[in-house]
Amino acid sequence: MKESLLDIVCCPVDKSELELEDAERDEGEVVDGRLVCTECGEAYPVEDGIPNLLPPDMREEA
Amino acid sequence: MTDDTPLGNDESDASTDVTRVAATYDRIADHFAETRAHPWPEVVSFVETHGGASRSDDRGEETRQAGRAGQPGQPGQPGQAGQPGQPGQAGQPEQPGQAGQPEQPGQTGSVDSPVSERSESAGRIGLDVGAGNGRHAELLAEVTDRVVAVDVSRALLQTARVRAEESGYADALAPVVGGAGALPAATDSVDVAVYVATLHHLPTRARRVASLSELGRVLAPDGRGLVSAWSTAHDRFDETEGFDTEIDWTLPGGETVPRFYHVYDPAEFRADLRESSLTVERATVSSGNCYAVVSDRRD
Repeated sequence: MKESLLDIVCCPVDKSELELEDAERDEGEVVDGRLVCTECGEAYPVEDGIPNLLPPDMREEA
Repeated sequence: MTDDTPLGNDESDASTDVTRVAATYDRIADHFAETRAHPWPEVVSFVETHGGASRSDDRGEETRQAGRAGQPGQPGQPGQAGQPGQPGQAGQPEQPGQAGQPEQPGQTGSVDSPVSERSESAGRIGLDVGAGNGRHAELLAEVTDRVVAVDVSRALLQTARVRAEESGYADALAPVVGGAGALPAATDSVDVAVYVATLHHLPTRARRVASLSELGRVLAPDGRGLVSAWSTAHDRFDETEGFDTEIDWTLPGGETVPRFYHVYDPAEFRADLRESSLTVERATVSSGNCYAVVSDRRD
């Protein structure tokens, strides 16, 4: 994912903004890391460049 | 625990439902994606009519013409889908009467495409809810700067990404694992949305209506969305009222994987839309599916 995607995506639960943490980048793309909600603090994983923004109770742990 | 909980109020097993849908599509992803190569003509028409081009950017209009010229069903045709990555390339000349209209919004009375004020900042945003292998995200990429492709199945999104790379619009595609009931997109952020053949996988009316309201929330004030669901109008159904069912997906080896559907009758589809925060601009039945062009309700 591109970091600019943070302008569009939000926390699926409270719709607040997300911040990128622990990012690993490859050619400008975020390939791994976490998107953390600035309101509730929930962390959503970015794996293989694809963020998982399912609500936490719907997330299937791999 | 009693059994008299009214249908539609059970949030308790939402997790199970989403996990099941995701698991199903993860399992059938490769085969499903193979058999879903072409966009639906109803979606092509919607994107042509409502995809719109921002007034400051004629790329969308040009590529829209290109999209029209390259009919679905000819996937091998070079250039059909490669246009979005080549903004400098001239549009196809087949529809000269429509080209360029959005550039002069003050002088024409026939432009019905929404024009977003946000286009100068984040660019025009497309959203595909239940994006699957991205066959409709590809259409949205022709008229927007970025397409957020939401699906519960990571495996399907991976096929969408491969497809986008092959077709030259990978830069515009943002695959996001997410659910239709809790869209991970900012309020008023989306200019054009496609939510087709997905709503019918949500197992209760309450969840379907809430999901439609979520679409309303993310649509920009002048954004437009297309919603579709499988309908009792389809030839294979004898029922005239909406009903729940399971329909098997048959894998190449003959193994079947059941998928939940709520099959809508057209009146029920309109009622659910009215119950949500959406405004229905147009509702139709086509090829056994209910369709509606919607916008966010402004109170």
